Amino acid sequence: MSSSPRKRPAPDALVAGVVVVILIALVAAVFMSGWGDTLYPPKAVTAEGREIRGLYDIVFAVAVAIFVLVEALIVWSVLRYRRRPTDVELPVQTHGNNLVEVIWTLIPTGIVLFLFVISWQTLNHISVVSAAPDIRVHAIAGQFQWQFEYLDASGKKVATQLAPVYDTTTGEGGMAVPVGRSIQVTLDSPDVIHAFYVPRFLFKRDVVPGQTNRFEFTVDANEAGQVFRGQCAELCGTGHRTMLFNVIALTPADYDAWLAALTAKSNATPAPLPSGPVLNVTAEGIKFDTTSLEAPAGTPFAIVFTNKDPSGISHDIDIKDASGTVVANQDTINGGTSANYAYPALPAGTYTFFCSIHPGAMSGTLTVK
Amino acid sequence: MATHALTPAASTAYRGGLYEWLTTTDHKKIGIMYVVNSFIFFLVGGILALVVRAELAQPGLQFLTDEHVYNEMFTMHASVMLFLFVIPMLAGLGNYVVPLQIGAPDMAFPRINALSFWMLPLAGILLVSSFFTGGAASAGWTAYPPLSLDGPLKSPGSGQDLWIVGVILIGTSSILGGINFLVTIFKMRAPGMTLFRMPIMVWTILVTSVLVVMATPVITSGLVMLFIDRNYGGHFFDPFGGGSAILYQNVFWFYSHPAVYVMILPAMGVISEVLPVFSRKPLFGYKAFIFATAGIGALGFSVWAHHMFTTGAVFLPFFSLLTFMIAVPTGVKMFNWVFTLFRGQLTFSTPLIYAIGFLTMFLIGGINGAFSASVPVDFAIHDTYWVVAHIHYVLFGGSVFGVFAGLFYWFPKMTGRMLDETLGKIQFVLMMLGFNLTFFPMHMLGLAGMPRRIADYAADAGWNDWNMAATIGGFVIAVSILPFIWNVFISLRNGKIAGDDPWEANTLEWATSSPPPPYNFDHLPEIRSERPLFDARHGQTGH
Amino acid sequence: MTAESQALTPAGSASGTAHESRRGISNPILGMLLFISSEVMFFAGLFAAYFSTRANFVDVNGVKGWPPAQFADVLKLRFEPIPLILLATLILITSSITCQMAIWSIRRDDRRGFLRAIGVTFILGVLFLLMQAIDYSQLFSEGMTIGSGPFGTTYFTLTGFHGAHVFGGVIMLGVILYRGMAGQFSARHHDALEAASLYWHFVDVVWILLFSILYLL
Repeated sequence: MSSSPRKRPAPDALVAGVVVVILIALVAAVFMSGWGDTLYPPKAVTAEGREIRGLYDIVFAVAVAIFVLVEALIVWSVLRYRRRPTDVELPVQTHGNNLVEVIWTLIPTGIVLFLFVISWQTLNHISVVSAAPDIRVHAIAGQFQWQFEYLDASGKKVATQLAPVYDTTTGEGGMAVPVGRSIQVTLDSPDVIHAFYVPRFLFKRDVVPGQTNRFEFTVDANEAGQVFRGQCAELCGTGHRTMLFNVIALTPADYDAWLAALTAKSNATPAPLPSGPVLNVTAEGIKFDTTSLEAPAGTPFAIVFTNKDPSGISHDIDIKDASGTVVANQDTINGGTSANYAYPALPAGTYTFFCSIHPGAMSGTLTVK
Repeated sequence: MATHALTPAASTAYRGGLYEWLTTTDHKKIGIMYVVNSFIFFLVGGILALVVRAELAQPGLQFLTDEHVYNEMFTMHASVMLFLFVIPMLAGLGNYVVPLQIGAPDMAFPRINALSFWMLPLAGILLVSSFFTGGAASAGWTAYPPLSLDGPLKSPGSGQDLWIVGVILIGTSSILGGINFLVTIFKMRAPGMTLFRMPIMVWTILVTSVLVVMATPVITSGLVMLFIDRNYGGHFFDPFGGGSAILYQNVFWFYSHPAVYVMILPAMGVISEVLPVFSRKPLFGYKAFIFATAGIGALGFSVWAHHMFTTGAVFLPFFSLLTFMIAVPTGVKMFNWVFTLFRGQLTFSTPLIYAIGFLTMFLIGGINGAFSASVPVDFAIHDTYWVVAHIHYVLFGGSVFGVFAGLFYWFPKMTGRMLDETLGKIQFVLMMLGFNLTFFPMHMLGLAGMPRRIADYAADAGWNDWNMAATIGGFVIAVSILPFIWNVFISLRNGKIAGDDPWEANTLEWATSSPPPPYNFDHLPEIRSERPLFDARHGQTGH
Repeated sequence: MTAESQALTPAGSASGTAHESRRGISNPILGMLLFISSEVMFFAGLFAAYFSTRANFVDVNGVKGWPPAQFADVLKLRFEPIPLILLATLILITSSITCQMAIWSIRRDDRRGFLRAIGVTFILGVLFLLMQAIDYSQLFSEGMTIGSGPFGTTYFTLTGFHGAHVFGGVIMLGVILYRGMAGQFSARHHDALEAASLYWHFVDVVWILLFSILYLL
């Protein structure tokens, strides 16, 4: 290519070098500013999660390197090879080069094989499922709430956690686990596919109806006292966004106490029927058996509530007033169980009773007079 | 010479009139109708996306207090974009271009070609009508049972059924089109046009058509089975009646994975046409390109279960290895493209600008997909916004950018007029900015734990800023479409006259008038290489 | 230059080289082969579902084994007094032979022989459909429907879609018969018949596979 007599284009190597340096500087700036942290998963809190994070770091480094290399070539070509007015003759009509084709087939093959092997190794490490884990939890995902059953060594249920979300004010709720112990979780669903996902574990596993999935994890000892958010990660219907849960890491001693309390609560005799008027409501097929109830004003009343849906589908009967304020918030009960719900005295008026998990399908009018 | 020295208004190439367009079997008119119909559905799918983004801009449910409607929005956004925009748009470009590029007078089966087209607006109406007949499908474009079966809290109502029928119609249209392309390409090439002298666009349509013919019927069978489960008491996929939800996923992804190559390969074909023309050099590694394309097509049939890594029902090492391997032929193509630009003489017309945008965006999309090939990493990022980032980098940054490169490149051939370059560049800048602003933050959202398909998120999860950024980006993309629509409108009326070969291009479609006569060619140049027009222009007789 | 363009035909004649294939098979026949490939993949999906369902099947009492006990009798019953499905199978196989005879006849320009053979093929096809209908009505009267567990679902889906394809084939044969009687076929021009016969053989092969898998395996 001829150069114009009036200006000399910069030597190729110099421009190439500048482009590469700028790109590397950009990447370095991103990481040094801390903004690069957003391109990494959050710090893992389980042994398995840390393995996944280690693998991610390697994949990420390879990804950045490949991106910088190829993008540098693109940027370089775009800057350097613009057609100039002096370019009248065609450039060299290179059709290809078999040697470079072989090179850029073999080297990427090597790279992906390397990535596959380290991924496979990590997968084997994190997929260990032992015959005798320290703790067994049976997680049931129903539309739209998680339940956690704690099992003893022989697989018998000792306690059920029906409140999947940790309430910071009451300290109740959530799936507590002891740190430093192996926790084996089995997953079941009575309805549709869900997924058990805890971002801080860098891990999720689908809950497939008709198939019991199983995985294990061990929370790091220094995470005791931490609460980790979890969420359903497989579209499961109109309440998908609400299927939240928490995993609570406790010291083994605190966990034992927590489990004892939950066991007591699970086995407690149900509250007796309070005095006062009593209504009867049944839930089945994600519907209440009535859409209108009546109660006298100014008197506490009760509802005997039977949940006839399958185990794993929880319901409750909450009440909100005409302005939408919730005036009665009951604990949910599992399918196949019943409860005596006590309600405070309400002033006369029109209220809505609803299931807090399925408000769209399950609601009705409560007339208090 | 074949040039007609007529202004396009007086051109005999297009006999006008509604009746002509409704009854035509001319592949050029059919191709244009495919493009127009697909673009309309691009707008429909885009509006659905804006509704999704508007709701997600801030935590709390603002507009869609009924999460069911939100689920309909993203289900139909994806279904419309994939089945009524991307696949048919690329089929339409292929329909227009392939017979011209191989020197044929039309497709092998022109009447079936017309049938294939007209099934699309029909299917589109069927799909969109579901919004007005009790609610559209809402179980995701993947329609996994049991959620997509009948029942309270699942998918009662006709929306899911209309979806099934609509998609089966579209699939049938696709299969007929694929058969048409294959017979045309194998049997109707002009003398001298051996398989290894065909333009890469034709090769990508060839491989795409093999995928379409072999894979699409499998999803038809899966959707038929879903329909039977929903309406006739069947038990294919109902886990509590002896069926298997995982069976559906296997049948579904056996098609839907090759389908993504159906969605990208013709766009790669466009890039492979544009880069050489605007670099004034041949495509680097033409044969390697063909083998890479065939390799992607073949490997594409073997990786479907990488969409199911978290189900616990997949033989993980096999699918992980093959998924990683697909990166190799894809990389070969990327390097070949870059080395086409390298040491070329680049003219930055809009087609080239979009092609270069494609290169970077698809590079990102390919790289972030490789993360999912690593099974443990996939355990972290599956079903999160990372995957949304990946799919949009390859489908928008890849396919859509390829579509716009193709539209700007072939608009002059189709209409006889050039599109305006300034408007094209404004469109590109806005689209590039908007696109990256929308989808790059989704990598961060996915890593931070935001799952897909949720109508709302907790205000304290740390996702607010990225979501707001993504929504702003989405509206910037919407704005970027306006210069394009304006551009088409004014260029059709007043655009610069194109002539036969405004780009100094290489392939046969530029050896006839713009637009071509109904029978395509008055005469053909001698065909001695994959660049017959280039050879004719430079007096060469092949290499 | 113009010599090469003479090989191109104007857009009016749709399939261009249908009459004189420059090389290899003609456009319509290649098109039909590709269509058959797509239909093979459709049935592949259904068969995959069948095999998977059968392999994972456990009945209400937790017993593995296929067919489920409640339908094993239903299947056996229908083998006596007339082995209906066996007869239907033989009829379909015979129809493939007669179809091929039609091809051989027309290739020899024996138009009467071709019409006879195609007519017999058509009738045998209709007979197969009738037998399928009788089989279905027997099953319905015994209480087996598409909703009868995975067995009923897979049985009726597989045989039903095969039957639908036979129906399509019978229509195709009817059109061929009509066109043949109108004198449109000769030794040189009978692509439509070749294509239809390829489809008919495909339908027969699918049935042989289906029959073996459903009844014999």
